[in-house]
Amino acid sequence: MSRKNSDNENISNSQNEESALWSIVGYLLSGLIIWGGIGWGLDRWLGTTYLVLAGMLLGAGASIYLVWLRFGRD
Amino acid sequence: MGVQLAAEEGFKPPSTADFNLPPVFGDNPFTTKPVFLVFFSVILISTFFIVSARKALIVPSKLQFAGESIYGFVRNDLARDVIGHEFMRFVPYLFTLFTFILTNNLFGIIPFLQFPTMSRVSFPYVLAIFTFVIFHYVAIKHKGLMPYLKEIMFMPGVPKPVYILLTPIEVATYFIVRPLTLSLRLFANMFAGHLLLLVFILGGEHLLQGVIGLKLVSPFAFAFGIGLTFFEFMVQCLQAYIFTLLTALYIAGALADEH
Repeated sequence: MSRKNSDNENISNSQNEESALWSIVGYLLSGLIIWGGIGWGLDRWLGTTYLVLAGMLLGAGASIYLVWLRFGRD
Repeated sequence: MGVQLAAEEGFKPPSTADFNLPPVFGDNPFTTKPVFLVFFSVILISTFFIVSARKALIVPSKLQFAGESIYGFVRNDLARDVIGHEFMRFVPYLFTLFTFILTNNLFGIIPFLQFPTMSRVSFPYVLAIFTFVIFHYVAIKHKGLMPYLKEIMFMPGVPKPVYILLTPIEVATYFIVRPLTLSLRLFANMFAGHLLLLVFILGGEHLLQGVIGLKLVSPFAFAFGIGLTFFEFMVQCLQAYIFTLLTALYIAGALADEH
């Protein structure tokens, strides 16, 4: 009985890790896309060229921060 | 020079045009090969599982064993381990999804069919929309609309101005990136795999028509083509698994209480 419980815990731990893995990829991707996209839009609007890069860097930083908040804090 | 030579010899490398198959009957765009393959896959899957489950015995026949193995795999390794105690509700969807994608992927390497249905992007889109609707519906039903949106948008324990930075990312992840990556991953893998096989097999065939030196190289192209066919088999199974696994993970996330 206790063995079965620990098995279940192991499974749920590895599943959590797997779930975290996929979520992290998703967050990193959407951080780049969203803030890069906002930067690109501002570039088109203001006629500048550097805001898309700034947006992507900001998005990458923000998404890493978010990943830390979600999975690394405790 | 090389380009010119190729142009003179007239080898047309496979391109996206190879995926635009003409309608079978007249001009009706609903009678293309992928559409028929989808219907065929449904007939094939239904027949297989009805036949394998019809005479359920205590000591299973080979066919029953095969059917039950696939079902057991989806139910135990995907649904139960990922979703937890409420998994039984989602087994029918996950099972349908897995067998449907797997069969349609495998069409890519089955002789005479040889076209992975999922390399037409609309099919993965529709499947991703199903998953998208289901996991949001489950979450809204389980948590309520406003608490669910609040959970997505606002991380607890963060200073308020940071939300300007984080909320767009969270919203984009749940509503755009998840369904998009789900469908595009499947589509791109099937598309690229089919293209790869076309390059090696058609290239090998073209080499065979060249001068003697080229004829000698041709078997290597075919050998690579055959090797890649086995590789594709692996990719096709893997992609069906990943699509189903991610659907299960999203549903599990929808059912999970705030940690």
